[in-house]
Amino acid sequence: MMRRETSLFSRLVLRVALVLCGGAALLATAAWYYARAAADDAYDRLLLGAAIQITANMTVDAGNLGVTLPSSAFELLGLAERDRIFYRVVGPDGKTLTGYDDLDAGIDLTSARAAPVFRSAEYRNAPVRIAIVSRALSDPSFSGWAYVVMAQTTEARRALASELTTRAMILVGIMSLLALAGTVLAIRYSLLPVGKLASTLRARDPQDLTPVDVDMPRELKPFVGSINHFMGRLDERVTLLQRFIADAAHQIRTPLTALSAQVDMLDDEDLDADRKRHLERVRDRVGQLARLTNQLLSHAMVIHRSDSVRFKPVDLGDIARKAFRSAIPVTVDPDVVVSFEGCTEPVVVLGDALSLREAIVNIIDNALQHGTVQRLAVRVGRGDGRVLVEVADDGPGIPAGEWSRVTARFVSSKTGEGSMGLGFAIAAEVAVAHGGTIRFREKGEHDFAVILDLPLGKEGASWLG
Amino acid sequence: MAWLKAVPLAITAVLVLAPTAGAVEGTRNVFPALDAERGRLVINGATDIEAMEPLIRDFQETARDVAIDYTDYVTNDLYRDADIACRLRQPFGDILLSSSVDQLVKLANDGCAQAHVSEETRDVPAWANWRDEVFGFTFEPSVMVYHKDFVPPEDVPHTHGELTDLLRFKPDYYRGRIGTYDLRQSGIGYLLAFLDAQQASTTYGRLLESLSRAEAVLRCCNNAVLSELDSGNVYIGYNILGSYAYAASRRNDKLRIVLPRDYTLILSRGALIPVGAKRGNLAGRFLDYLLSERGQGVARQKAFFFSRDGAVPAEVDGPAKLVESGIGRPIRIGPALLAAQDRLQRSRFIDDWTNLIVNTPVRLRPN
Repeated sequence: MMRRETSLFSRLVLRVALVLCGGAALLATAAWYYARAAADDAYDRLLLGAAIQITANMTVDAGNLGVTLPSSAFELLGLAERDRIFYRVVGPDGKTLTGYDDLDAGIDLTSARAAPVFRSAEYRNAPVRIAIVSRALSDPSFSGWAYVVMAQTTEARRALASELTTRAMILVGIMSLLALAGTVLAIRYSLLPVGKLASTLRARDPQDLTPVDVDMPRELKPFVGSINHFMGRLDERVTLLQRFIADAAHQIRTPLTALSAQVDMLDDEDLDADRKRHLERVRDRVGQLARLTNQLLSHAMVIHRSDSVRFKPVDLGDIARKAFRSAIPVTVDPDVVVSFEGCTEPVVVLGDALSLREAIVNIIDNALQHGTVQRLAVRVGRGDGRVLVEVADDGPGIPAGEWSRVTARFVSSKTGEGSMGLGFAIAAEVAVAHGGTIRFREKGEHDFAVILDLPLGKEGASWLG
Repeated sequence: MAWLKAVPLAITAVLVLAPTAGAVEGTRNVFPALDAERGRLVINGATDIEAMEPLIRDFQETARDVAIDYTDYVTNDLYRDADIACRLRQPFGDILLSSSVDQLVKLANDGCAQAHVSEETRDVPAWANWRDEVFGFTFEPSVMVYHKDFVPPEDVPHTHGELTDLLRFKPDYYRGRIGTYDLRQSGIGYLLAFLDAQQASTTYGRLLESLSRAEAVLRCCNNAVLSELDSGNVYIGYNILGSYAYAASRRNDKLRIVLPRDYTLILSRGALIPVGAKRGNLAGRFLDYLLSERGQGVARQKAFFFSRDGAVPAEVDGPAKLVESGIGRPIRIGPALLAAQDRLQRSRFIDDWTNLIVNTPVRLRPN
């Protein structure tokens, strides 16, 4: 079975079209009735006029009722060019004076005494309209009521009615089409906020769980409210989870430090080479675990601070220098050349000093762990409204295809060595929180570099400077 | 005239036209098909065979396998028989031709006609077509005819009023010398008189009175009046159809034609296909022929001599362009003619006329 995709638009258009069709049919029927009535009314006047002309030509002469049929009466009816005319003049004795003796639609002639009577009937196999007009004769020698029964076939009436109906139908058709077009436009316009909401949601950062704040029509507010409610709950869950992770990492750190101290205290001199190797591996793993735990804590801290700490103007050059100092361990391989190149003037950004320091530390740490062979350089620079902190190493670098992936959590370029890290994830998180990005520069003429790119604080510069 | 000589060949049965009204069967003529006969068209006409023959023969040139059975009636008889046939739902010819168009209009009004629409009928002017059922196929002014030998030039009347005055001032000379229709017998005579009365009722009243004093000679038909003129018994013929008058003037150059200059009624002879027509198809073809350019051309040259488009023949005394001048008043084929066909109206009109002209009081008149 084919599943039909439902669409608000097509549903609305279909229903409006149905209503319009029904309305058009109703209007057409009404137009037809109206046109018939109008045509009957117009031609009834002719019929009445002709009948009255004949009654006006009745004369009583020596006790005899005479009637002259004026040509003008027939010419009047002849305005309906194709219609046939039948008539009958009835005297007071009820006898037909002249005309068609059998023209009698079973109408009581006396009913025409008060006012002319109109009837639709059939005569000689043709539909006719009949008018009956009376005249009271009050000649002393001859008194009573005389009647003129005038009938005309209905071709002109029907032609006029159908012409009027056709015209009305054309108008109704045009109006319906206009209404439909208007409806289509109106529906499209009304559904615009839905698309806008969708694109707002799509454009949101996946980490952003704050309430959606867009201008929505009243009808969409419950929908947005539900989304916000859901996001709020999700946010709570995430916060809980983060707190749990932070707590867990914190809990783990104390025994881990103890474990690390215990391992350090182990005397390995007595051990044979095989056991030494095992011990070395234990030390390594404990070190990694300690680092991971620190990173988890650091990540939790960064996230917590990005939600809670108000940004202040800070000198990124200063922060980078401090980060550089703390990131380069005292035990660094003496063969590795490390260098720091600051900026001559303060580079001020609007941000949280602690988070920024953590970000830079993690980038440098990552470079030391996974990149650097002999050279590591940290540079702070500015240009075009941006502040750049560049960490370059002479390692193989990260292939361009992996760049977008490494900023996600628990990914490292050296997969398979058990060195999953949170370093880039933390840096990326901080960069985004500060309205910046983490970029990479491919190894080539220069060394491979990871660049923290932040916008230069505008007011901060003058405030500090 | 060639077509006059051809007449006897075609006539298979001739009944003498009786001058009195009654159950008169007209003359019946059969025109055999030029090739093997595949159809036979029955025409019942109130139109002299002399006028119809050239048209019928020319039509047969276009339809060589059609034989034509033409019967000539007096207008009133034609109407009566057609009306009865219609009521009884019996066939009565395939096409009716009558100069008394009011009778054809009445028949059509009573539902006795079939509609016929074709290329040719579309070109017929509105005044000569009613409901696509009654078509006027000729153009025949009603004229005055005089005999040149008996009417001096200063006496020649040019309007209805002049004719009245002439009869008033020279009553003795013209007594018994004016010929016109007998309304009691002639449908077309009645129609023309009725329309005269409507066109100018005062003039008509005076004219009628003058005619009465002049003891007008009454005849059933055009040709009867024209033959009286021909023989010199009658000096002036009034309300004669131009076609017959022109044919007569071609036979006798002493007969002259005047188109009245105050107004000239113009009759369009009517054709109608009755509902009971057995060969309506053939009748339609004949009607189309009559209305076609070819048929109109033959009618102008050989049968009716006047036409809607052409000029008035040179020998005729009258305005060159009848209709454009406003003098020619075409009789509109339409429901207005029903007033003329009302039986009460008709009998009263004819009674009044008879009273005046025949000069017999109504109560003394037999039946």
